Amino acid sequence: MTRKEFQQRLAEQVLILDGATGTELQKRGMPLGVCPEQWVLDNPQVLVDIQRAYIAAGSGAVYTCTFGGNRLKLAEFGLAKKNREINAELARLSRKAAGQQALVAGDIAPTGRFVRPFGDLAFEDAVAVYREQVLGLLDGGVDFFVIETMLDIQEARAALLAVRETCDLPVCVSMTFDQAGRTLTGTDPVTALITLQSLGADAVGCNCSTGPADMIQVIAAMKPYAKVPLLAKPNAGLPKLLDGKTVFDMSPEEFGAFIGRFIEAGVNLIGGCCGTSPAYIEQIRKHSSGLRPVAPCPRRFSAITSARTTSFAGPDIPMVVVGERINPTGKKKLQAELREGKTAEVRRFAAEQVAQGAGVLDVNVGMPGIDEKETMLKMVDLLSPVVDAPLCLDSSSADVLEAALRIYPGRALINSISGEQAKMERLLPVAAKYGAMFVLLPLDDSGVPETAEQRCAIVERVFAAAGQYGFTKNDIVVDGLVMTVSSDQKAAAETLKVISWCSTSFGCCTIVGLSNVSFGLPERGWVNAAFLAMAAASGLTMVIANPSSETLMRIKMASDVLTVRDKNSSGWIAYSSQTSASAAPGQAVGPERSAPEKVYDAVLKGDRDGIRELLDAALRGGLTPADAVDTCLIPAIVEVGSLFDRKVYYLPQLIQSAETMKSAFEMLEPMLATTGVQVVKKKAVIVLATVKGDIHDIGKNIVGLMLKNYGFTVHDLGKDVSEHDIVRAAKETGAELVGLSALMTTTMVEMKRVIALARKEGLTCKFMIGGAVVNEQYAAEIGADGYAPDAYAAVKLAETLSA
Amino acid sequence: MNDKPVQTALGGVTYLEHIPAMPKRERILARLGHRAATTILTDDQTAFLERGIEEALLLCHVKGAYRRIPVAECTDRIIRLENGTVFQSAGLAQLLSRSTEVVLMASTAGSAIMQRIAEEVSTGSAALGLILDATASHAADAGLDWMVSFLNGTLQRHGKRLTSRRFSPGYGDLSLEHQRIIFDLLDLDRMGLFLTEKYMLIPEKSVLAIAGIEGITE
Repeated sequence: MTRKEFQQRLAEQVLILDGATGTELQKRGMPLGVCPEQWVLDNPQVLVDIQRAYIAAGSGAVYTCTFGGNRLKLAEFGLAKKNREINAELARLSRKAAGQQALVAGDIAPTGRFVRPFGDLAFEDAVAVYREQVLGLLDGGVDFFVIETMLDIQEARAALLAVRETCDLPVCVSMTFDQAGRTLTGTDPVTALITLQSLGADAVGCNCSTGPADMIQVIAAMKPYAKVPLLAKPNAGLPKLLDGKTVFDMSPEEFGAFIGRFIEAGVNLIGGCCGTSPAYIEQIRKHSSGLRPVAPCPRRFSAITSARTTSFAGPDIPMVVVGERINPTGKKKLQAELREGKTAEVRRFAAEQVAQGAGVLDVNVGMPGIDEKETMLKMVDLLSPVVDAPLCLDSSSADVLEAALRIYPGRALINSISGEQAKMERLLPVAAKYGAMFVLLPLDDSGVPETAEQRCAIVERVFAAAGQYGFTKNDIVVDGLVMTVSSDQKAAAETLKVISWCSTSFGCCTIVGLSNVSFGLPERGWVNAAFLAMAAASGLTMVIANPSSETLMRIKMASDVLTVRDKNSSGWIAYSSQTSASAAPGQAVGPERSAPEKVYDAVLKGDRDGIRELLDAALRGGLTPADAVDTCLIPAIVEVGSLFDRKVYYLPQLIQSAETMKSAFEMLEPMLATTGVQVVKKKAVIVLATVKGDIHDIGKNIVGLMLKNYGFTVHDLGKDVSEHDIVRAAKETGAELVGLSALMTTTMVEMKRVIALARKEGLTCKFMIGGAVVNEQYAAEIGADGYAPDAYAAVKLAETLSA
Repeated sequence: MNDKPVQTALGGVTYLEHIPAMPKRERILARLGHRAATTILTDDQTAFLERGIEEALLLCHVKGAYRRIPVAECTDRIIRLENGTVFQSAGLAQLLSRSTEVVLMASTAGSAIMQRIAEEVSTGSAALGLILDATASHAADAGLDWMVSFLNGTLQRHGKRLTSRRFSPGYGDLSLEHQRIIFDLLDLDRMGLFLTEKYMLIPEKSVLAIAGIEGITE
């Protein structure tokens, strides 16, 4: 069956699929734990009988019994090497059962492994595994393919590409969504649909996981965006386990009552999944009789997707900001990181831009000294799982774009394809194969045209070429080509004319790289902002910009209101309330505080950055260093301790105040030394250590910081310290106190050894302990003098023990 | 077919290179001693906290692994798996009393965050270090939560689910030595994890857990 014939058939009638196979096999004697594919080959008539029963009940197509027929699944039964042969034989068996009465769908399902970037199975390996299975099913003579029960969009893409690259038969892809309407890896139905239909699926849909009621919602969500027929195979309600067997709670009649609603919601292929049987298919036939399918009639939309979400663009939608910061040009730190293979800066740029309002992230890693393809693939791998925003793959290299498109787990935007002949010939088929949208750059082999008319002519020429590959105007975004006005002041007007022509006459999305316009001018932000407002008025739909600029984002949001893209101004109101809240002064306004009071406040609030300036002002105003300590710092830190005790402060506040104190003391100490005044009474000497075998020392480090700020002399020995080293240090420093920390039950026993050794060697110092697994009782048990549950308690305990 | 053979799940272990785990903010705050009823933060302190959490999430690379193994025998204090593995714990045995299989799980927040925490505590802002530390701890836990949710989704269609709780070595009477058993069964070297002689996981923000698979009967 050709793809065209398949579409024609689905346009004319609802194709009834089969129901569950596994449970039917079990009913007829297949034991649990065996390889179903092998068992069916050993008992072929059982499957023939089941499939004939389905066909008799009304199924127009049956699935081959090859759900676990990929090599990775068959390997669990030692059958990996026979996978092509097994698939071929099982397809022949279904062919025999179906005869000319029904179609045979080659069934492809998950491998059981996660594909990169989510798992450890390389994308090409996944494609190869599925390709092998496809070849076997083709050998057996299937009519079309169904990729079903997919939990992960990337694995579905791998299977779909395997079919598409092997044959030209129709292929349906069916994902599994939970009751919240997401796949288990987080993809929503519309995103899955757009990704898969762009990649060449002939039908998309859902099966398993939920009963009919939830599944109708999935179909209804997909339908407005579906360019292809939709498929549904719901379970027979919800499962439970009775006497070791899985049973479902919905009768065939109850199941059948949903069929009319499915067809009304837009389903074109319908069958049953877990728990269904020929009786359920009979109900489908009964309730679908006389009903015609709703033909795909999608609304006009432009969209790109990530693995988890869709970003729409268009004249009635708020302008989409494409974050421009993941680009090494002019960014030395990012350049250095990319060269070293590090990713922290890219992750930071990605998260910040999304938080600031970018709907799409441009990714450009072109720079001298790196392998651009390898780096781009690494970025796609890195960003796809950590940010929801779709990616705009930005490179001048066709090889880089092709490689990135292949592994990108969604529908990407390519930046860009121009009217240069070689580039068009190379990139248009690639973009078409992977279903990408692309930025159309209106320049050609003659260079950048000066006038809008010339640019529009190139747009028409490139679009005509793209049309040969199936692209529509919804699949392209025309770049207005922003030239710098410092070189040619009339250039901006030409760009605006291109944007205007695209939005009012040609009918497609537009984009500009905003900052080029102001290159070479002072105060560029204002020029960029003014140009953005003008472009918005001309109909601009996407802008490549830095979303950290509040001016730009406000202009964009305000423009969305004024061009009626932000319906009811709801986006503007939400954005404004958010930004005004953060800009508003956080503290109540009271009488002006004196300079010493401000020092006190700084410690109280943990203002480490501001304390020195405030202290300096107070000293210049006549406060002596000694008074600063006695009347400001010490009372403040005592108050901080009290606030912490009362849980008004949490731990970071306590530490921020302690760090502020430390900064103040570092400033005051030289002054105090010259005056000879000893304002802070030196407290005891303490040795601190995390015991042998233990490597968790953040708690001990925090205790050390606090003790220092309270006047103790701290000798921190670090982590994984032996009892001998601790006792030696206690002797050498004359420590009055030793603080030990341990986090694990396996290491806390070392504390006892330390104390025992110290006592054996005649040390009289006191021991305090802390850590997640110890307590007061354990302290007493091992002969320690006290236990502190947190850093502030440790200070108080140290003061008590050293008093 | 590629020349390179595709490795099947190693001994049935499924590895996840990127888990979209999002730790719960209230848990991070609770770990830091924040009490909703009493703790008061200024706008600056709130911004500092939020920046810290965001930064930690950027540096946490949550990875995980899980493996299902059938239970051969479960007495009141011993769980024997079909592959011969034995866990000794009355608490775990009670949890698994209705389970036909166990799921062993591991999750890590990775090493980049640990390096940053150490830098902040030693030479930067210890307060920030604490926020990073708390977020990383819960990111690793969120990795386990994600796997539990994922597995429940796949089990549901078979009328099964995971036990409502999970056990980790060091919890109750399940001794820390069991870390070695789970570590080896999941072959966590492959994920870049290391287990010390004292059964500590490196990177530090890594967690292991056991849960049971049982039927949905109600």
